[in-house]
Amino acid sequence: MTAAPKSDVFVAISHEARRQMLDLLSESGRSVNDIASHFEMSRPAVSQHLRVLLDAGLVTERRHGRERHYNLSPGRLAPIRDWITQYDRYWDEHLMRLQKHLSEKKSK
Amino acid sequence: MSHTIKKQMNLPQSRERVWEAIANREALADWMHPNDFEPRVGHRFTFQVPGNPAVGFAGLTVNCEVLECAPPRLLVFSWSAGGPVANTRVSFRLEPEGDGTRLVFEHSGFDLSQPFGDQAFKGADYGWSKMLNQLSSLLTARSTQSQ
Repeated sequence: MTAAPKSDVFVAISHEARRQMLDLLSESGRSVNDIASHFEMSRPAVSQHLRVLLDAGLVTERRHGRERHYNLSPGRLAPIRDWITQYDRYWDEHLMRLQKHLSEKKSK
Repeated sequence: MSHTIKKQMNLPQSRERVWEAIANREALADWMHPNDFEPRVGHRFTFQVPGNPAVGFAGLTVNCEVLECAPPRLLVFSWSAGGPVANTRVSFRLEPEGDGTRLVFEHSGFDLSQPFGDQAFKGADYGWSKMLNQLSSLLTARSTQSQ
């Protein structure tokens, strides 16, 4: 079991830059400098976004001397996939309601 | 590749009839949720998903914009409900099928799962999520109502 994350995964991925960071990390682990080189924002801003991802448990951090390295923890994204699965059921239900709507209309 | 929910169903009604059920405010309120839909590209509207205090679901607003509207063939609107469902895309394509209609439904643009292959999720411990619970509550509320 993983420790409970401090912040919500859904909040963590609500920002486009953070999603792009996860994209980058899905290829390989990277240093802060490496990550920052892909973004047109200040280093502190990049670090703040990484902090949110870290707090949500989506990435792990390791120190290499003075540099910090980040790796993806994809398992933490499971709630999102679960959520999308629920959406799938949501539409099953509503398309059934559409069918019902149509058949009731016909009989009137 | 983004995650897409795809569904197909054959309906005995004509395309025109099915179109009336998907591109009409009152009809959408009947099988979806209260809304202020208008069948016109660029129209912004909302679905008001009612809450259910019994299960702690506060309700939510889904923000939409009509992206394509070609009666009786194609209706597309954006769908933003917060969380990972920002600016996703819901489409209804109606194809003639004998005397009836084939409805091809898609909800696409869940691009948050995009960079992560299915294998990335395997063996994961499934966490609790507020929104997941909300939607489950919503489904429960719905099925209770329809009984």
